[in-house]
Amino acid sequence: MIDRFQERERGERRERRGKSVSGEAAEAAEQGEIQTDKTNPVAGHSALTDYLASNNISAQQIRTDWDRRQAEALRQATEQEPSVTAEQSQSPPVPTSPEDAVKKRKRQQAIARIKNSKEFARRKARGGYDDDSDDDLAIEIHEEQNRRKPGQFANCEICDKRFTVTPYSKTGPDGGLLCNICSKKQKDDKKKPPAKRRATGIGRRQNQSNLLDGLTPHGTQSLLETCIKKVADYIHDIEDFGDLPPSLLLRLGQILSRRRAVTPRTLDLFLRPQYTSIDLFDCAKLDTNDYHKILASMPRLTRVNLRFTTPMKDQVFHYMMERDMNIKDLHLDGANLVTDDCWRQLFTKLGHRFLSLKLWNLDSAFDNETAKVMCLQCPDLQRLKLKFLHKLDNDMLAEISTLKSLQHLSLRFMRETEIETEPVLQIVASVGSQLRSLSLEEFEFVDDRLLQHLHEHCRLLTKLRLTLNSTFTDKGLAALFTGWSNQALTYVDLHSLRDVDMTNPDGPEEPIGLASDGFIALMEHSGSKVQHLNIASCRHVSYKAFEQVFAENKLYPKLNYLDISFSTVVDDYLIQCILRCCPALQRLVVFACFKIRDVHIPRGLALIGTVGATIKIDGITQTETI
Amino acid sequence: MSGPTSEYVTLVSRDGFEFIIPRNVACVSGTIRRMLDPSSKFSEGLTGRCVLDEFPGMVLEKVCEYLCYNDKHKNDINVPDMDIPPELCLELLMAADYLDV
Repeated sequence: MIDRFQERERGERRERRGKSVSGEAAEAAEQGEIQTDKTNPVAGHSALTDYLASNNISAQQIRTDWDRRQAEALRQATEQEPSVTAEQSQSPPVPTSPEDAVKKRKRQQAIARIKNSKEFARRKARGGYDDDSDDDLAIEIHEEQNRRKPGQFANCEICDKRFTVTPYSKTGPDGGLLCNICSKKQKDDKKKPPAKRRATGIGRRQNQSNLLDGLTPHGTQSLLETCIKKVADYIHDIEDFGDLPPSLLLRLGQILSRRRAVTPRTLDLFLRPQYTSIDLFDCAKLDTNDYHKILASMPRLTRVNLRFTTPMKDQVFHYMMERDMNIKDLHLDGANLVTDDCWRQLFTKLGHRFLSLKLWNLDSAFDNETAKVMCLQCPDLQRLKLKFLHKLDNDMLAEISTLKSLQHLSLRFMRETEIETEPVLQIVASVGSQLRSLSLEEFEFVDDRLLQHLHEHCRLLTKLRLTLNSTFTDKGLAALFTGWSNQALTYVDLHSLRDVDMTNPDGPEEPIGLASDGFIALMEHSGSKVQHLNIASCRHVSYKAFEQVFAENKLYPKLNYLDISFSTVVDDYLIQCILRCCPALQRLVVFACFKIRDVHIPRGLALIGTVGATIKIDGITQTETI
Repeated sequence: MSGPTSEYVTLVSRDGFEFIIPRNVACVSGTIRRMLDPSSKFSEGLTGRCVLDEFPGMVLEKVCEYLCYNDKHKNDINVPDMDIPPELCLELLMAADYLDV
């Protein structure tokens, strides 16, 4: 693959050389033709003339051009002399002819245009030019734009020889171009000035973007990441990835998807007949045939993970069924053109093999009936995730409790769907004892009875996400985590468990949502193992509770992600307490914690969401402004 | 220039190019660090010489350049990415994966 790459580069170089060779030939032809004309006027055409004629180059044309140029140069030389003397006699130089005035005005207009251009602003910012040198910079850009393009002819600024401009042609002292030989001479005396540092403030957006990706601002990125980015930059020149391991292929798939660069052409790079899984996170640019291609060229697929699959249609599923493909994991986002009939057929034919099923964003199909068929025909499902399926509601919830092998359950309905507590209780009662992860988002009015059921039935949970609820009470949450026989959780997301009565910002007497007692009980229960903790918008957790949880004798050795956004009580002191108790912390998210003004953070920590705070990283100070 | 305690280590490419770089710089790579760990009793650990048969000199040179670049900028913020010639990036990608850098 890389050979091809190099080959192509070499090819380009050859082409360029080819051009300059033909340039030389033309020059030789000029001279040769003159000679033949003189020595052999009657003998007709020379072999060279024939050859040139066959390549559509007329010797006569070259000759006349040459004569014309010579004459013009002579005329210019004689014209210039008087004008020089004129300039010497009158101190302010006046344009000698109306043609010059037009030229000058055009030039000034061009420079004014350049001064308004983005390119100018960018260069000015980068180069740190002051206002006085604005004109110089504009003139410089103007000259650069008017310079000959590669492949055109130009006269060398130093030796006046005519030559072909190439991308490597150097600029002379007065802004003109230099021929190959003079370029070489020039290169030695002129060293590049050191690259100027970027002015502060320019990179702020990029820095924040990197922080959100969890990249810390100091030190270099890993070579692996740098290379993956580079490969993504040049993805359109790559013909084959060679034998990249699946883990790298997955990472590349992620980066390309993020850049929206997964196209029918780049798709080919990911199709490996011997691999059993495909993960593409952005399929919006593929069409129905491309899905067929994926299935046809990877017959051993057991895992299909495709997102933004707008053009997926019934035929694709029919193909899967015809081939009786051995698919165990099916993760599809936005497969909206598939009909209910087809979903039901799929579950009936292939459902018995499914181990995991994840579906997002279906609005025109997949109703309660289809969900019931799914629960009936896919008895071995271990993982089920249904998010934003518009047609589902309470009616199908009870069916989930019939999935006896279920270990991971993740549900999120549409905002408008009011979910009742009873069917959820039924699910927890029947499969709760084997559940390893449970995620229920936006079950806004489900009450404390769910927490009691979790307390009673769940033993094996490691991941728990209960978010966007305004009915759970602090008491109920505290009771869930106190004396819970479930093992310590590693992933806890309880964001936005809070009261939403706008008229009463402090909330009722008896706190609603995760407040002080619930938070303390949670950390008592899971503190030893928790790796990921999100309590954003749980705004009734008090300063005292934070102080108690992150007291001097407490240690949360595994915690690497903590989100406490919108906990407005958090200040510099609490941040230092948190950092002391969480030695493994890599990301700390603190949006809207305005009391954070001046903090000292260890290396390798990405502090996200501060506003105008001074952040000190082990001796490196950076002040950040809005 | 070699031995378990020497300050420098030698990395050898498939085609015999040798790169001598400081030990702490080389140990940014997890794979090289484990190879050089004296307690592992690997011959690399005893001699301070790692033969990396997988990579041609051109790739290993770039890896060494990265290791030094990484060391040079470890205390800077907002470091730009090192420049990588596009024709090398796939091979370098596999090398980076193997060497854990």
